[in-house]
Amino acid sequence: MNTFLAIDTSTSRTSVAIIKERTVIFQAHHDGALSHGEILPQLVSKALRAENIIDEVIVGMGPGPFTGLRVGISFAQSFAFARGIKWVGICSLDSIALQISGNDFLVAVDARRKEVFYARYTDRKRVGEPSVCQPSQLIPLDIPIHGEESNEFPSPANFAEIAKEGQKYLAPIYIRRPDAFPAPIGVKFRAMGQLDLVPAFAIEKSVYGSEGWSMEQLKEEYHGKNRGYIAGESGGKLIAYAGVTNLGGIADVLTLTVADGHRRKGIGRELLRRLIDWARSQKCKAIMLEVRVGNEEAIPLYTSFGFIEISRRRDYYGPGKTAIVMRKDF
Amino acid sequence: MITSIPLVLGIETSCDETAVGIVAGRKLLANVISSSVEEHAKFGGVVPEIASRAHLEAMQGVIRAALSEAKVSINDIDAFAVTAGPGLIGALLVGTSSAAGLALGLDKPLYGVNHLSAHIAVDSLDSDHKLDPAIALLVSGGHSSILQVNELTSDVITLGSTIDDAAGEAFDKIARILELGFPGGPAIDLDARSGNREAVDFPRGLTLAKDLIDHRYDFSFSGLKTAVSRYLAKTPGYIRADISASFQEAVVDVLLTKAIGAAKEVGIEVLIIAGGVAANSRLRESAEERCEKAGIRLRIPPMNLCTDNGAMVAALGSLALTNGLAPSEIGLTADSASGVARAIF
Ligand SMILES: [Zn+2]
Repeated sequence: MNTFLAIDTSTSRTSVAIIKERTVIFQAHHDGALSHGEILPQLVSKALRAENIIDEVIVGMGPGPFTGLRVGISFAQSFAFARGIKWVGICSLDSIALQISGNDFLVAVDARRKEVFYARYTDRKRVGEPSVCQPSQLIPLDIPIHGEESNEFPSPANFAEIAKEGQKYLAPIYIRRPDAFPAPIGVKFRAMGQLDLVPAFAIEKSVYGSEGWSMEQLKEEYHGKNRGYIAGESGGKLIAYAGVTNLGGIADVLTLTVADGHRRKGIGRELLRRLIDWARSQKCKAIMLEVRVGNEEAIPLYTSFGFIEISRRRDYYGPGKTAIVMRKDF
Repeated sequence: MITSIPLVLGIETSCDETAVGIVAGRKLLANVISSSVEEHAKFGGVVPEIASRAHLEAMQGVIRAALSEAKVSINDIDAFAVTAGPGLIGALLVGTSSAAGLALGLDKPLYGVNHLSAHIAVDSLDSDHKLDPAIALLVSGGHSSILQVNELTSDVITLGSTIDDAAGEAFDKIARILELGFPGGPAIDLDARSGNREAVDFPRGLTLAKDLIDHRYDFSFSGLKTAVSRYLAKTPGYIRADISASFQEAVVDVLLTKAIGAAKEVGIEVLIIAGGVAANSRLRESAEERCEKAGIRLRIPPMNLCTDNGAMVAALGSLALTNGLAPSEIGLTADSASGVARAIF
């Protein structure tokens, strides 16, 4: 028979168990989202005093917040290597599911940024791979949700069972891509000049139609005091522009516009990054912007840079068109 | 194998290099580095999330490669060392967790070490000279400091550091403006070779008499960056190599003026230069000339030991072990902002 050391750091809880001959002979956990790195070695050290001869390490591969997750996985891999034994990775959500009785339910854990990692379990089996979404998107499914919210956590005590029958993972279950995007290829960014105003107006018209600025407004804003304007060009042609102003220590984004056919390539992201740099260089204490309610392209971009909604302005973009005011503090 | 000389394995993951080194006492046995720099080049700088991800992917392979380079087995290792700070927290944790797994797996001591002190400790390798006292100039993308090293594992004082950008960061930013790519250090070094370093007299930050009162050994590179941008904007026909050379000269000049000044004023006649920027050819050349003139002994580790590596971590762990220092507690706390006063965690 085998003795397993089981580890999970995929949630705010760090937990460790030793399972010997199908019996859990050690089990301990500690709660705290920022302490996996310190706690895990302490718990394992205690566990080894209960049983030092380990045949295999089983580790929860997530999904879960990345920093804690990596603590458990890198520890488990190194421990197994040092002992010359095998390590196995399992899906941490499967461990929560195993503790639940029911035929159709969801398991969800905190994914940070107001999202959850989740999976659906029907007839004691996971349906597909885990995924990520906003908690509100799970409500319409109208089935019970288990997990961190209801104080249900992965339990290494049942990891041996999962390792025996369930799906195994060789790499962390990240789901999300890294929060970084390469700078767009073939696009040159530079300060916006007066000569750019004419092509900018053409883009303004085609993107915003009658809601866009007139040439006069564009000019007036461009020539205002304390302005930073950036242009993006491709093949010598203006394809994007953005402007920001410093209003007494708070930067306000005036415009951020990418021409049709050039969106979703990271150009807006790069422009925003540069506006933020400008605001920082001006020693602003915050940067603000307005975005239309329901702008599914822009809002996630702003959120990923740390902008949060602070208020709403009704009829900002014309009758019935509400603006969300977002702010990022430095 | 001589058992009285301890074998120490060191792990470094504070920034974008996943590195493992193995030493036997002061003898270097292995130094393996896996860098995610190409990944970061696309972004023009190190992205913490990508660095941490790459550390986990590379770690096991790098440990194995180091053991095979040193021709030892993991069971032969007497103690482990790991960078516990300063650095990117998510990146540090991959290293400390991995080191903890090895140490607990084999029931061997683990030393959490300071990254900056480790940069200096690398000077102990493959030699038997006395390491301290010395003045150390640490210059890289993450740090720019002048340290007074009275006793490396217990008594290091920060005399000065940058008040804004690190020296390496300044190289990256200027390289970006000049469209020379990332990382900027090697690119500017190369470009500068065909340029005139006296072409433009760029400002030397914090060297005016009034700055020397409060910032005698501190650096500032943000003004230099502004000066370069301003110069480029008003000089349409500028020669890029001249800008590279003149900018590089300004950085090198201020680094050496302050470091050599510190050595003379404190009365320590050894200067150690380490960190990624120590690989800069003009810094090395100028340091040699100026130290000789000032009567100061200059020590610069070989290039591959100047940039972040695991051998420097193993070297410091080995010194701590030899000096009889207590190992770190199980579950040491990685500290992203740790100061140099704490060499061993
Ligand atoms: Zn370094």
